[in-house]
Order: sequence, then structure tokens, then C-alpha cells
Amino acid sequence: MPVVKVLTEGIGEVDLRDIGVYRKRGGYEQWQRAVTELTPAAVLDITTKSGLRGRGGAGFPTGRKWSFLPNNGRPRYMVCNCDEAEPGTFKDHMLLEETPHQVLEGILIGTYAIGSKHAFIYIRGEFRRGYEIFCEALAQARAAGFVGSGLFGKDLEIEVTVHRGAGAYICGEETALLNSLEGRRGEPRLKPPFPAVKGLYGEPTVVNNVETLATLPHLLRNGPEWFAKVGPEKSPGYKIVSVSGHVKAPGNYEVPLGTPLRELLAIAGGPREGRKIVAVQPGGGSSACLFEEHLDLPYDFDTMAQNGTMLGSGAVVFFDDSTNFVEAALALVRFYAHESCGQCTPCREGGHWLEVTLERLLHGGGLDSDIELLVAVSHQLTGINLCPLGDSIEPFLASVVKRFEAQFRACVRTPQASAAG
Amino acid sequence: MSAQGRDFAAVVATVEPEARRLIGLYPAGCERSALLPILHAFQNVEGWVSPEAMARAGEWVGVPVSVVESTASFYTLFHRRPVGRYMLQPCRNLSCIINGAGEVMAHFRERLAIGHNQTTADGLFSYEEAECLAACDRAPCMQVNLHFYYDLTKEKVDAMLQAMREGTFEVPPLPQTAAPAADWHVSPDDGKKAPGAQGVPNPNDPGGLGDASGVRMIERLERDPRPVRERPTHERLIADGFERISNPGTNGSHN
Repeated sequence: MPVVKVLTEGIGEVDLRDIGVYRKRGGYEQWQRAVTELTPAAVLDITTKSGLRGRGGAGFPTGRKWSFLPNNGRPRYMVCNCDEAEPGTFKDHMLLEETPHQVLEGILIGTYAIGSKHAFIYIRGEFRRGYEIFCEALAQARAAGFVGSGLFGKDLEIEVTVHRGAGAYICGEETALLNSLEGRRGEPRLKPPFPAVKGLYGEPTVVNNVETLATLPHLLRNGPEWFAKVGPEKSPGYKIVSVSGHVKAPGNYEVPLGTPLRELLAIAGGPREGRKIVAVQPGGGSSACLFEEHLDLPYDFDTMAQNGTMLGSGAVVFFDDSTNFVEAALALVRFYAHESCGQCTPCREGGHWLEVTLERLLHGGGLDSDIELLVAVSHQLTGINLCPLGDSIEPFLASVVKRFEAQFRACVRTPQASAAG
Repeated sequence: MSAQGRDFAAVVATVEPEARRLIGLYPAGCERSALLPILHAFQNVEGWVSPEAMARAGEWVGVPVSVVESTASFYTLFHRRPVGRYMLQPCRNLSCIINGAGEVMAHFRERLAIGHNQTTADGLFSYEEAECLAACDRAPCMQVNLHFYYDLTKEKVDAMLQAMREGTFEVPPLPQTAAPAADWHVSPDDGKKAPGAQGVPNPNDPGGLGDASGVRMIERLERDPRPVRERPTHERLIADGFERISNPGTNGSHN
């Protein structure tokens, strides 16, 4: 079993919310080392060499993202994205509540690496407890002299602001997050300009996921090769995978990328008694389903992409043969319809009508043509929106309609039922 | 609304120091960033974000109340009408749905005798089916006043509701400075929608957006071999069980 403990080390064993406990295990040592021994360029270099790719969903190389910042002398901002709301993902929730100091140390190192003086963490509104825990951790770190001005006796100042959202999935999209952080409606912005050029308050900004930043202290401690040699060459490293659905022991499991899906299933306790897994959604609500014949695929960014889906945020949902895929599809389509910000017509209207069509199917009033309609509409609303939310509807819906067409057809109202009803 | 016996000045006195602190967390000139946190602060004290609170928050961060309202309306956690003492939010997303959230939600609806986005008549419970709460490993899950509850069953729900009714539930009830209505939805317009708009029936368009008879109409279309255009309108309406429209001009439902 290749379960590892890197970011998850100590969780469930000791109280890592206590700065004393965290420091005894080497906490903030790498932050101190970064400031006293390494230049920002050296931290950037380590990150680039490690091959670390963003853990929030897009999988963009972190070092490269940082290198896009222009050298224009303007203030820069680091924003940690903790607006975790991708269906099936619950890793940032755990990191925030269980090991807030590790997250904070990562934020500090990242902020230092990009030459910024001010970092923000945007915490999803529903994580009220997580917000309180992180604020407490920040206060402890400030008292210990790890946040603020004159850090480690140097002329260095880094401020961290904790910001709580108020319930909007779309604020996980980086430009929507920036709008929300500025006190506006969380509507995505037109890109370009990208946040690296024009982000928060119009200044160069980097938005990184919680898990991405929390990895930084480990990269500094163990060196980039330690990370780069794990897993496939182009998507190396360890990843926390949120496994849920029809498994005996759902939970967050940290594994090397490239672990086969079947092994993930085994780690999560395997299928329930007497059931067999028929499908798996490997990368959150926005990813297409894979099926039983794909279970031996290694779980990494590129293999998932080559198979028409994605690794996304690392949320793996297993479905066994008891699943009603019409109901499952409705749950996700309803979600996207509900969370559409409403700026782009295809997403706003398309999502709503797909929801209505699926409701009709699920409640026995479906038409034969509805199945083609689902596929056609979800395809037509793809690729023509400001942000990827509208595009997120098609992958899961189209893949399960294709694979489990019989289940959808069974919901079509038969002439006999019509005559009787 | 401030005349309902609620002491808004006292609310402001509580929130203002916190609001000043929050504004100080952001760079100079970026006061507006504190808008969401300030609205949270008001809601923590009052249980909802009142029009007066929005106006005051706008003054503090330097934007008009219309902008505050527009911003607040974007976010599901801000309630612009009073809500119940316990905000019950079971998750209805994927991992919960395939693990029995449907039954749990049906049980809530039955026990509370209210639906999605509604408040009980006694003002104790508000009910909203929420999207993924990031606790999929212990599905079905829910939040009560933003506190997590996991591995829900009908029995757990019953025990929870009973404790809330008896005042022994571990999560403190929300403050309530005004009596809640049946729902906390704020209509985006004056409520007068044209016939055929979402949820408003249109006798001239059976099966349209606002028409519950849509499925019936589709069935009839399927059974009738004639092309639609060959069937007179009134015949279609009668076949669908509508009265013949005598004066289509005033037959819109503006309620």
C-alpha cells in the first residue's frame, strides 16, 4: 500500500494546531531557512526543479506560474485559494483545520519567493470553524515572530490577511476569487490580462491552492529531487486524494502520483459487500467518468488527460452497480446550474435547461429525444464561456449518458404509461 | 423595518469596532475588500443582513447601498430576510446523493413540513439543500448554523430536531432580531412577471416555461399524429384541460 505521510504527517495523532507541537516537528524551520539562507530566486528555482504542479485543479506548473510576474516594481500579492468546493474534494478542508501552521508556512514561503509583502487566504464561507482555527494559528505565528515586519532580524515584512467568502462555488475560479476578495460579486473576469499581470487591486498576483503551498516547506526540507523522482516524470510528487462514494473507507489518502486507480480503491477499503465498481470520477465534479476497464490506469495528470478526463483537484468518486446515474447526473448538473454566476448565457441557460430535462427524466416524464438533448445541449454550451464552469457540465454528463444509456432510456415515458397516466 | 422593536444602534455599536479592525486588514484605499467580512459581522449579531446593515456597511467601505445589495445578493450565505433559529443545510451533491442524501432530505421535508429555502411558521427552522460541503468522506453530511454533522440517518435527524425543539442542542441558535417569513428569498423585481416567465403559467403557451402541464402536452403531441399547425389553438387548450380563453389580453397571472 503506497500511502505516504508528507502533508498529512501527524494528522490524527497530535494537535498540529498548536504552534509548539508543530515546531517540535520541524515546523517553521524551512521558513526561517528561506529567509536567512535562500534568496527568493533560489526558492523559485527549487519549486521549478521539483516539477510541482498546482493542486487546485488545473495542474499548472507552480514555478512557471510564479515566473510570469512582471518585474515592474509594482506591489505584488500572493493569494491562497481555500475556496474548496469542487464536488468530491475535501483535502483543503482537512489541511486547514488539522494543520493550519503548515498551510501558513507554505503561504509565507510562497509569498517570499514571489517577492510579495502581503498574502491573503480566501477561505470558503462554509468553513467557519476552519476560519477560526486559521486565525488562531496566524495569531500564534505572529506572536512567535514569523509574520509581520523585521522577520528573523532582516528588513523583511510579510503580512497575511484571512478573508472569508460567503457561499459561492465560482469564487474558486481565480479571477472570481479576486473580485470577491475586492468586495465585489464573485464573477470571473475576462482573461487576458491574467492575474500574474493584473490581479488583485490591478497588481501582479499569484493564486495558489492550499495543498500546493503546503507542499513548499517539504520541498525546501527535502530538496527538489526528492519530489521530482516520485511518480511519472511530468507529474511528479505526492498528492492528497479525496476518495468518496461507494467505498468502505472513504477519506483523504496521500499517495505518489501514478498510483493505479485500482490501488486507490483498495486503499479506501474496496467496494461495499456484494457490490462491484462500475465507474469512477477521477478529478472532481468537472471531470468525465472512467469505467471498470480503466481501473488499472495510473492516477496522474497526463494519463488522466490522455484518457479524456482529468486529475483536477484529486477528488475520486467511485460508483458501484447500485448507482442511479440519472440521479447522479442530476446532482451535478443542478450544482452547476445553481452555481453559474449568470454572466454567460450558454452556462446560465444551458445548465438550467439540462437540469429541467434531467428532472423530467428522473420523475418519469422523459422523452426519447431527451437523451440526445442532454448530449447536444451540454456540448453546445462548452467552450464559449468566460470561465470553465459551463464547460464542466459536459464531461460527466456525456460520459455517463453514453455508458449507461439504458438507465437513461429506462426513464423515458413509455406509450403504455402515457395512455394509463 | 427598524421600527420592529430592534435596537439597530446597539447592533452598530457592536459591529463598528470589528468593522474598523477588518478594514485595517486590507491595503489603504482597498476598504471595499472588507465588505463581505463586515456583512458577516452584522449577520453574526442579527442573524441576517438587514437593509440598514447594508447601508451602514456601504458607508464604512465607501460604496452605495445598491452596490452592497447587489454584492450581498450574489452569495448564498447572506440572508437578506430574517431566517429561523436553526439553519439546516443538508448536502445534495454527488457523494451525498449516492450515499442516501435523498432519503435524509425527504425526511427533513416531512418532519419540518417545509421545503427547500423555507422557514417553519414558529420561526425555529430554516431549511436549505446545500451544495458540496467538502465532507464527502462522511456522507451524507450537513451543516447546522455552519457546524458540520456527518453520517446522517433518519434517526440522527429526529434526535437532532428534538434537541433543537427542546433547546438542548449543542450548537447555539442563531440570533433573531425580526420574525422570519415563510422564506428568505428576496425577489429581484417587483414580483410582477409576465405570463410565461419562469413559474408563471401562460394560457397561450401550454407546456411553456411556467406551465406544470408541460409533460401532459408533450404526451398529447406524441399521441396525436396530426402536425401541430393543423390543430386549432382552442382545441389544444381544451384538450389540455384549460378553459377557453375569452380575453387573452387580461388573462395573465400577475400574482
